[in-house]
Amino acid sequence: MLADGAFHSGTDIGRALGVSRAAVNKCIKSLTEMGLEVHRVSGRGYRLGEPCVPLDRQEIEGHLGPEGTQAAVAFHIVEEIDSTNGYLLRLAESRSVSGHVCVAESQTHGRGRRGRDWLATPYQNIMLSIAWQLQAGAAAISGLSLAAGVAIVRALRDCGVAGVGLKWPNDLIWQERKLGGVLVDIRGEATGPCLVVLGAGVNVKLRHREADGIGRPWVDLRAIAGDTPDRNRLAGLMARHLAAMFRQFEQEGFAAFWPEWERLHVHAGKPVRLLVAEGEVHGHAEGVDRHGGLLLRDAAGKQQVFHAGEVSLRQAS
Amino acid sequence: MDIRKVKKLIEMLEESSLAEIEIQEGEESIRISRTSSVAPAVATTYAAPAAFAPAPGAAAPAAAAEAGQEAEGAELPAGHPVPSPMVGTFYRAPSPGATPFVEIGNQVKVGDTLCIIEAMKMLNEIESDKAGVIRAILKENGQPVEYGEPLFVIE
Repeated sequence: MLADGAFHSGTDIGRALGVSRAAVNKCIKSLTEMGLEVHRVSGRGYRLGEPCVPLDRQEIEGHLGPEGTQAAVAFHIVEEIDSTNGYLLRLAESRSVSGHVCVAESQTHGRGRRGRDWLATPYQNIMLSIAWQLQAGAAAISGLSLAAGVAIVRALRDCGVAGVGLKWPNDLIWQERKLGGVLVDIRGEATGPCLVVLGAGVNVKLRHREADGIGRPWVDLRAIAGDTPDRNRLAGLMARHLAAMFRQFEQEGFAAFWPEWERLHVHAGKPVRLLVAEGEVHGHAEGVDRHGGLLLRDAAGKQQVFHAGEVSLRQAS
Repeated sequence: MDIRKVKKLIEMLEESSLAEIEIQEGEESIRISRTSSVAPAVATTYAAPAAFAPAPGAAAPAAAAEAGQEAEGAELPAGHPVPSPMVGTFYRAPSPGATPFVEIGNQVKVGDTLCIIEAMKMLNEIESDKAGVIRAILKENGQPVEYGEPLFVIE
């Protein structure tokens, strides 16, 4: 009822749900605790701080398309979870989870790289993880996280969001600002089959409370598109494109995604700085090799490949 | 060579988790080995993949031969070496500041997580493929590792 962003009185809500006003009050309180902003004005009732359309299984599944349906994608839609990757990894301890997708309204311990938090506004963002069993083994799947970036850009494009590029290895970038990211957990043997749990976050509508904690340039889909894209559609399309990506990756590896990754590379030919364990490396970004490693050409004209590190644009001096 | 020095070296070897010590002083050299029948076999198992591994931080093909030689020269404590399945960054704990997965002397079972290797935002939990005691941790937290480089020795 509150999804439209208009005021609804406690009496109306109670009547619609068949509960007392006190019960409504209690429900609203728990919504607030979940991180949803609810405005309360005496005489007018309750209103959401931001209109919000909750995640809906039927809506999401309607956007899966033949690729997603073929892959027998199964959805787990949860209100609040530590992290969507954590949910699938725990589930994997008791059953096969290949093709399972977890989408959450809110994460309490969203993870970024190495101890960084992934901050997202509850009920307004996309927090999605997909699990896949790969026969190839961990040693053979380098490049997978880059292919995932390509898949998400395709999903955004199908949603009408153009102009999103990739920063190595897989940050979603719009005009030098971060729109989303991907983090992959791998379990299993190095040479035998392994379970991949791929988590993706996309900023749809970020509130200042979360945005202030990010500490780097960010952007959300509301700013790019002007209006708020349908989260159910985007979640469905992301699951569809990620499932299709895994299927193709199993057959063809990163090679199938390489040319598109290069086209989407926001730092192609630009001077960059790479932070690595040993310090800082400067060079011109030239693209990636067939395993997804970043190719940098240093001032002496020598090309090097990197598999770790954090890239940023270097202002020409 | 002074016999007391030799005795000292034997004590050092016994206290350490090393399989072998070789010391060279001028023209004299001494090699003390605890498990001479096992150590050479262990050395060859990881030296082969390491020969294909690129130099730390960069995959310059010219440096590959050099890295291979280095690995062949290195000595490992006796036991079962756990090699890195991929190129990446070695992490001993699930997140910075957290308790490391394992310490030297810890008992591990097959399937226990030993460390994380990260490459390109892929966090790869490396599981133990052998039950035993951690005898050596051969990499520092946050260090780059190459394909096939030994990370742990389990005995």
